[in-house]
Amino acid sequence: MKKILIANRGEIAVRIIRACREMDLSSVAVYSECDRSALHVRLADEAYAIGPSAPRESYLRIDRLVDAARRSGADAVHPGYGFLAENEDFAAACVGAGLTFIGPTARAIETMGSKTAARGAAKRAGVPVVPGTEDPLGADATSEEIAATAQSIGYPLLVKAVAGGGGKGMRTVVDPSDLASAVGAARSEAATAFGDPAVYLERELPRPRHIEVQLLADHHGAVVPFVERECSIQRRHQKVVEETPSIAVTPALRAEITSAAAAVAKGVGYTNAGTIEFLVDENGRFYFLEMNTRLQVEHPITEMVTGLDLVQWQIRIARGERLDVDPARALTPTGHAIECRVYAEDPDNNFLPSPGRIVALRPAAGPGIRDDSGATAGLDVPIFYDPMISKLAAWAEDRPRAIARMRRALAEYLVAGIRTTVPFFTWLLSQPDFSAGRFDTTYLDGVLKAQNGRPFVEPAAGVEEMAAIAAALHTALSPARPPANGGSTGGRWKTEARLEGLR
Amino acid sequence: MQHFEIEVGGRTRRVAVARTGDKFAVTLDDRTVHADVARIDAHTLSLVVDTECPTGATDPVRAAFEVTIAPDAATGQLIVGVGPTPVAVAVNGRRARRRDEASGGNGPQRLSAPMPGKIVRVLVKSGDPVRARQPLVVVEAMKMENELRAGRDGLVAELHAREGESVDAGALLVVVQ
Repeated sequence: MKKILIANRGEIAVRIIRACREMDLSSVAVYSECDRSALHVRLADEAYAIGPSAPRESYLRIDRLVDAARRSGADAVHPGYGFLAENEDFAAACVGAGLTFIGPTARAIETMGSKTAARGAAKRAGVPVVPGTEDPLGADATSEEIAATAQSIGYPLLVKAVAGGGGKGMRTVVDPSDLASAVGAARSEAATAFGDPAVYLERELPRPRHIEVQLLADHHGAVVPFVERECSIQRRHQKVVEETPSIAVTPALRAEITSAAAAVAKGVGYTNAGTIEFLVDENGRFYFLEMNTRLQVEHPITEMVTGLDLVQWQIRIARGERLDVDPARALTPTGHAIECRVYAEDPDNNFLPSPGRIVALRPAAGPGIRDDSGATAGLDVPIFYDPMISKLAAWAEDRPRAIARMRRALAEYLVAGIRTTVPFFTWLLSQPDFSAGRFDTTYLDGVLKAQNGRPFVEPAAGVEEMAAIAAALHTALSPARPPANGGSTGGRWKTEARLEGLR
Repeated sequence: MQHFEIEVGGRTRRVAVARTGDKFAVTLDDRTVHADVARIDAHTLSLVVDTECPTGATDPVRAAFEVTIAPDAATGQLIVGVGPTPVAVAVNGRRARRRDEASGGNGPQRLSAPMPGKIVRVLVKSGDPVRARQPLVVVEAMKMENELRAGRDGLVAELHAREGESVDAGALLVVVQ
């Protein structure tokens, strides 16, 4: 393996390019029209245009990606996460074109991609699943039949898309009279989002935590589970903050849940990196939820507490190396790590996306800080893709120190031109419930509702005065507005000279 | 000496700036602070501000601030970042309104699409009574469904949003009166 095509964009493409360079492998970027100036294109060894900005016409085009691999002479493909990362047709197309797919087999993706099939695999491995239907509801099942099934599972329950993900095609039903309409709505949403209207029923656990187990598995039978990640801080079923280890997981539970995860992976002959998600109830009982057959967004925190490089291991496993990681090392965290997903969203306006040009950016740095980002000053945050601009992670000796370090990093993180969720994280990390670890998957939606649109960071009087002073100084110092189309180079020289003169 | 009227936090403040070398005397209402200003780039200033000790017993504290200043495309105001806190500011009467008061008061609220996207749901009908913060329209953009809400109590006077329709940023969707 000498050259890897990265079938993705943004921070994860940058992350994979970095692993390639560290391993002395060539990296090939692909880009859509609006991503010509993106950081992953600037950092890669080669770059190929694959079409218009809409994902359907570029990053989701299997034919164009395989063609870019052929033109570049790449011998392997890394899918990142999102886009085609969990698409078995893409994995099969790569293998069919003689490329190594850096991920599990198409068959494993297909099995674990169906929620009902994955639940079956967990059961066969002796791992408990949330009570629910074994198979998708029949397309011709009468509402009486569905109601009878629902009664046997118990309320409240969830209607979930078999092909689901990201909270789409999912409905909570508390009152049996809402069941039929919820099934109809989930089916139509699932059909639109995933091209598959199949749904199933699952009991809704009260106040569960979302705990997940990262795995690596090689082609020689080794499966290594890692210390758990706590991902209960979610907004509308999307993770917002992740940490490892979990404050709620005892050593005994860790041993049990990580062995269960390994058993599920072994049962399906899983290879490469994957993550098994569990719900943990108030009594510490855990239930298999689903498996993600790819690298996770939140993989950096696992790297920080174990010192292992998951992306490099993905590549090493794909080229046939033995996974000779000491299992105890993967399960024994050194210190504590937290990640905040920084989004181009306005937290004070119902988290509406805030696309636009980043005019100034200085990410946090210094001891224990890692910023995985695809953003730079001068770049537009495009409207076509997920608006995450950076994953800010903090490591420290223990959880209180990691929280303190993250708050320090958030205070340092400087971005202008767009709104970001940084002020929201500043608020969240100062909440007593967060510090005490008193939360479950319902926590964030609850506190956001209670906040009811009030700003997360109310500027203190002193801060408003400083803003007024700064705005006046900025206006006083700004050169007169240049002509509409940018002015001549001479004008810019003058501006620079004036700026120089200030000091 | 330059004079500015600066709206921040719902108040109008008078600010005067006088320059001596690279030092600035900034008078905010009736209080004057002395600031040393370094321009880092077109959007970033470093300020070192003398803050007089109230008793005069010690030398002034020289407080350091890093601030960013950038226009807010949506409102035409300036967003001043003081550390991690964004503060909306309007200079010299550019109609500044706090977001939660946007189109509040007595005038109608004209709800526009904040970004290009697709209307996935319209939750009200023309003539419906609505409450402040009630979701009116759901727009899908950047892989997310985004609720656009009423800024005030009132009636749906105009409804231009249609389910399934693609809209550009700034397209008028609903008028609440």
